[in-house]
Amino acid sequence: MYDFLTGPMLWLSLAVFFGGLAARVVWYVKGLRWNLDRVPYGHLTSTGWLWALKSVIFWLIPFGSRSWRTKPGFAALFFLLHFGLVLVPLFYTGHTMFLKQWLGVSWPAMPAGLADALTILAICAGVLMLLRRYALPEIRIITGPQDLAVMALSLAPLVTGYVAAHQPENYAFWINAHILTGEILLLAAPFTKLAHVALFFCSRMQLGLDYGTKRGGRKGRGLAW
Amino acid sequence: MPEGKYCNTTPIGTEEALKELLSDSRGTQYYEEMEQLDVDTDKLAAALKNTCKSRTRTWLSMCARCGLCADSCFLYRVNDCDPTQVPSYKIQTTLGEMVRKNGKVDNEFMRHCMEVAWAQCTCCNRCGQFCPHGIDMGVMFSYLRGLLYAQGFVPWELKIGAGMHRVYRAQMDVTNEDWVETCEWMAEEQEEEWPGLTIPVDKEGADIMYTCNAREPKHYPEDIAEAAILFHIAGENWTVPSEGWEQTSLAMFAGDWEACTMQVKSVYSAMERLRPRRMVGTECGHAHRATVVEGPYWAGRPDGKPPVECLHYVEWVAEALRTGKLKIDPAKRIKEPVTLQDSCNYVRNNGLAMVTREIMSYIVEPGYFIEMTPNKEYNYCCGGGGGFNGIGRFRPQRNKALRTKRDQILATGAKLVIAPCHNCWDAIRDLEEEYEIGIRWSFLKPLLISMVEVPEHLKPKEEEE
Repeated sequence: MYDFLTGPMLWLSLAVFFGGLAARVVWYVKGLRWNLDRVPYGHLTSTGWLWALKSVIFWLIPFGSRSWRTKPGFAALFFLLHFGLVLVPLFYTGHTMFLKQWLGVSWPAMPAGLADALTILAICAGVLMLLRRYALPEIRIITGPQDLAVMALSLAPLVTGYVAAHQPENYAFWINAHILTGEILLLAAPFTKLAHVALFFCSRMQLGLDYGTKRGGRKGRGLAW
Repeated sequence: MPEGKYCNTTPIGTEEALKELLSDSRGTQYYEEMEQLDVDTDKLAAALKNTCKSRTRTWLSMCARCGLCADSCFLYRVNDCDPTQVPSYKIQTTLGEMVRKNGKVDNEFMRHCMEVAWAQCTCCNRCGQFCPHGIDMGVMFSYLRGLLYAQGFVPWELKIGAGMHRVYRAQMDVTNEDWVETCEWMAEEQEEEWPGLTIPVDKEGADIMYTCNAREPKHYPEDIAEAAILFHIAGENWTVPSEGWEQTSLAMFAGDWEACTMQVKSVYSAMERLRPRRMVGTECGHAHRATVVEGPYWAGRPDGKPPVECLHYVEWVAEALRTGKLKIDPAKRIKEPVTLQDSCNYVRNNGLAMVTREIMSYIVEPGYFIEMTPNKEYNYCCGGGGGFNGIGRFRPQRNKALRTKRDQILATGAKLVIAPCHNCWDAIRDLEEEYEIGIRWSFLKPLLISMVEVPEHLKPKEEEE
């Protein structure tokens, strides 16, 4: 089982993840129309691109955008969840060691204690975000099954990974569960709202270009959301 | 019933059709017919296929339903945080549903969409600033309006408004002859007080071509006179075109993109005909948005630029004050608490927030200018934007929406509100009428005239002496 999950299944998952997301990005860019979107895509200036970059960066910085500052509680949950989901998979010692064995590439790992803390915080943040969905009427009304599924898919590898790392007696079961849920997450990404891992950058850059050229950029108004 | 006598999918193309639709007072029969109007689902599916591309589809599908847009929407807040007023909910249950069903929707759904698109969103675009994914629901509602318009599901007044542009190339029944006559009349009226003042029509190669809002020749001709006086004092070499003088676009509010194109092209041909150095438009927000910000795309200009550089009136005023073309008498500056309305259409959507504040620094005695909260790009819609002011059927909703601005103004303590935008000006007038909070409101032009220093050589000669 382990060999299958870390062999063909891993290749498949990564291929679907990267291939699928690349296809969505290509489809997104090819579908942009200057006349329908009313944005001068063919006449972009350096100011436009600068704004596109700012539009991404200010939203990636915790409390960097006005919206994050307006809702600091939600922003904190959001960043804790995303730190756990992005940093731990990339820099957890077990993962970097596996990568070294598998492909021979490696990069520095984070201390195990930090990985544990980020994982626990991310799980808590995810659960609180789910509770928020049901506690607040304005979010409950827009919540659908896909929103729950996406959160479940995202938290599953964190939970199973944490247990595998701390439960030596059932290690085989938990590590397989961890790898499998991780691969399901990769496989689902291009076909669900998880595609935002790539499309976030497209969408934010598009709005940045819009504001940076047509809506104010040409008037020199620097607006960092 | 497939198509009604008044409510149908045919745009208004003639003066006769326009008068007939106007004769159905308040659109009584029009809205009755709308209840029976068939949805052409094939046409709707084709429209979605051709115009609903990756940006819109991605916005709809990637919405994380986080709800950060809720509090950004003044209509959500002013309607007691009604969850059905959350922008994400509003767009997902209308355009989102239409896209998911690929246009297979019924009459009741379309009428619901009409109400949401015109009474629950003013296309102010504030929500787009608060969405982590950069989803601009105002842009999508404007797109939805276009789909609804093409199927005949559009508020009566906006079908008329779009028809006006198609027939007169103006939002009201003002012909080019009426316009030129009004200019002549206004110039004559000023003869005694402002010797030498003219309103030059169709002068080629002027520095400024001035365009306006048809309401001005129709209802407030003194606004044209005021513009002329200020250009006269500033010594500008300016002109107005006899054709292509109307900058507004109710067609934009209606979602009638074909009429938008006709309208903006009429202004651009005036630019091409008269070759002015620049165009200056009047104190109107959506007019600037339609002619300068969105217009180039309708006119088929992929660089997004009009044929000549275009300024909003506030940009011209700021420049004239900065360069000393207009000088303010310090003794006549505003010396009472005063606040400023930021128009969504040229502040949030065209970056002119600091320009209006520069003007305030010249015309208000230091210490008397009070900002609204929130302000600049984050300001709330006046409550009447996007056509909301003009739709009788949605008047109760509009009046409720005005409370946001009422409370913002009350919080400043100012009794004077400067509103360099026709729609905002109207909304503020209406909120005073509705809620009687004891405020005055004004465009910039009359304020400037009351405090500008008039050069000696422009003053009338005292003949008796």
